[in-house]
Amino acid sequence: MKKILIVEDSSAMRSLLISTIEALEGFEIVEAANGFEALRLLPRERVDLVITDINMPDINGLELIRYVRNSAIYKSIPLFIISTESSERDLAKGLALGANEYLIKPFDPADLQKLLLKYLG
Amino acid sequence: MTGSNDSIGKAVRDFLAEAEEIIDQLNNDLVSMGDCAETGDCNPDLINAIFRGAHSLKGLAGIFGFSEIGDLAHNMENLLDSLRLGRVEITPVMMSVLFDAMDLLGALVRGAGEGHLDASGIPLMVSRINACASATQKSQEVSPLATLGLTDAVLNALTEYEEHRLLENVKKGRLIYSIIASFSLTTFDQELGELTDLLKQGGEVISTLPTVGSGSEAGIDFEILFGSTKGEDGVSGLAGRPGISVRQLGAQSKPTSPSQPAQALEPLTASSSVSAHDHSEAASPAQPAADAAMTAKSMSRMVRVDIVKLDDLMNIVGELVLSHSTINELVGKVRSSGFSTLAIELGKAAKVLQRKLNELQKGVMEIRMIPVGQLYEKMSRIVRKVSREQGKKVDLRVFGADTELDKLIIEDISDPMMHIIRNSIDHGIETPEERIRLGKEEKGVIRLSSFQKGNHVVIEVEDDGRGIDIARVKKKALEKGLIQENDPLSERDALELIFLPGFSTSDTVTDISGRGVGMDVVRNNIAAVSGMVDIETRPGQGSKVIITLPITLAIIKALIINIVGRTYAMPITSVLETILVERSDIRTIERKEVIQLRDMTLPLVRLGRFFEIEGGDVLPESFYVVVVGVAEKRLGIVVDDLLGQQDIVIKSIGETFKGFKGISGAADLGDQRTILVLDVGGIISEATRGSV
Repeated sequence: MKKILIVEDSSAMRSLLISTIEALEGFEIVEAANGFEALRLLPRERVDLVITDINMPDINGLELIRYVRNSAIYKSIPLFIISTESSERDLAKGLALGANEYLIKPFDPADLQKLLLKYLG
Repeated sequence: MTGSNDSIGKAVRDFLAEAEEIIDQLNNDLVSMGDCAETGDCNPDLINAIFRGAHSLKGLAGIFGFSEIGDLAHNMENLLDSLRLGRVEITPVMMSVLFDAMDLLGALVRGAGEGHLDASGIPLMVSRINACASATQKSQEVSPLATLGLTDAVLNALTEYEEHRLLENVKKGRLIYSIIASFSLTTFDQELGELTDLLKQGGEVISTLPTVGSGSEAGIDFEILFGSTKGEDGVSGLAGRPGISVRQLGAQSKPTSPSQPAQALEPLTASSSVSAHDHSEAASPAQPAADAAMTAKSMSRMVRVDIVKLDDLMNIVGELVLSHSTINELVGKVRSSGFSTLAIELGKAAKVLQRKLNELQKGVMEIRMIPVGQLYEKMSRIVRKVSREQGKKVDLRVFGADTELDKLIIEDISDPMMHIIRNSIDHGIETPEERIRLGKEEKGVIRLSSFQKGNHVVIEVEDDGRGIDIARVKKKALEKGLIQENDPLSERDALELIFLPGFSTSDTVTDISGRGVGMDVVRNNIAAVSGMVDIETRPGQGSKVIITLPITLAIIKALIINIVGRTYAMPITSVLETILVERSDIRTIERKEVIQLRDMTLPLVRLGRFFEIEGGDVLPESFYVVVVGVAEKRLGIVVDDLLGQQDIVIKSIGETFKGFKGISGAADLGDQRTILVLDVGGIISEATRGSV
């Protein structure tokens, strides 16, 4: 089982991401409602991929990506951004910081599934 | 979309619940923003929070296919983005557009939940929002951040918003600090939260960048970018804890730190950070493993439950209560059949069952109870919005916000309450000029208070405005032909006229209270949850609307009565006493039957007549009168027989019987019969109006 960490402060959006991922087999999901929870979960769970939103309170997605990429332990974990098109500049920054892929909300579930299989299949 | 239909259905329900929560929060934040817009000093966190709310809503709406909601939220988000990035300034027009847009968003989400979303208002609203965004466009100045000496690594991790806040702080002449703090992985979120709160007292926390802790896997470091007018010592003092380093960024930067001078020079390299290992040991000297287990749990212990599930649970409890009654009856039968030992054992078991059922019932009931304060928050938004629109000054004072009520009742009285408050501001509270002329305080006062009174909760809305002009009420009623010139009309009778359909004392129907909702609708809506509404008024001094509500609608104790061979349940909370009356005790005053009950004259209602039951007119020589009362009103209800008390679960009787006067629902009895539950408040209202 590959473990995916979803970092997203909207519970409805998390529900949708989960139902999209659960439609595929072989994935386990860990949820974080904010950057804090993600930082706490990372060392406790053997995470294989991170999907993060950018706009979150306190610790935003960019700060999380920077943290992951600077860390000796997590730096090679595939990382997807899921964000809205309005934050184009932030999204570009996310990619520059080392995010592997990005999805624009509202995203097409099939696109997410394809990307997951590409990185973890 | 993928996933089963079930999971998608659930996801859409999640959307609606979350969207409502976001809108509620947005409304609260907008009110605060409206306040600070007046003083011109808005907390950037607040504006950012509002932006994020609109942003989340847009994302959610888009993905769940509510494109209309997404469209509106998207336009709001653009305006708010410009606002938070300092490209536009807050104006009164913008506040009013944002409030209207929030109202529309709320209506759209409610519409989506009920399956009839009306998007016709969106294009106009979008053009208003966009006009707002372009009208106040400020010239953009770019101020170099280079002077701060931030590395690209840090700059790249800042969102556009954080960059803007950094610039704003620099422009305002605040000093920018880099604060490095190290924490243990087990406690960092709490400790960082505490540190951030302390810092916020003396400036703005612009960004919080996590870094892998130096030298230890159990640690995590944070670089906080902080803007403040305080000097370095002041900022160090604010943080008030050892193990952090404070460094002022920019030309005047002096790399000193009172606690860790040697380690404060290069915040972004691992070697420069305060030793996470050392600090984590200091912060959590014992049992790191136990702490880790504890903090792996979720922060919140709350569960969000659909109230329908609680209703189902309550129904099951109600049915169990009925099963218990059946068992009790069987105990009696077993005993009379001669199995006395068995009957005693069974009786004991039934008692234990009853005790546990009571606990269960109480527990389920408590889950449904929420503090009235939640309703007050909504009302405070209405007060601020309407008073602003009306150019009036109102001070809202709330009392008893922790009084608890059934969630469903709170939901159902929200709209009536809103109307009462709109009325208070629109018709009651005078303009500031008028108030000064009258020798009153410039600011009107609305007191919103609630308290428990026996099995009821009383909510009062009191204002210190001009009061209700009784003479004007009578004049209007005459004009409308509701009363005759010579009708004897007490002050109370005149106030009752306000509750008649279509009655309005306002000469000019304003946008605020002239929305097709009158006090008759308010009374009907409150009666629908078995509540009563009353008005008291003093000319020139103000009015008080008193709403009396049952604490819960779920399981209630009822008096089971019989009229012309038909059985009904009457909520025991409305019953004051029952008396046996002789036919000869009845007198007639103004064609209405009354009896003398101690020192008061009690009007009677024959339920048989009220429900137009055949044979309902016949009165035996002696009969029972159930004296009922809600708020200050008293009425005697004539019944044939009293069958005893029982717990009942009131169930809705659906659309077919909607508007049927005097009935509030149905209930199952233990013997498989279904009976109707009387709406005592409704019967009293009808009787007071003289229609029976």
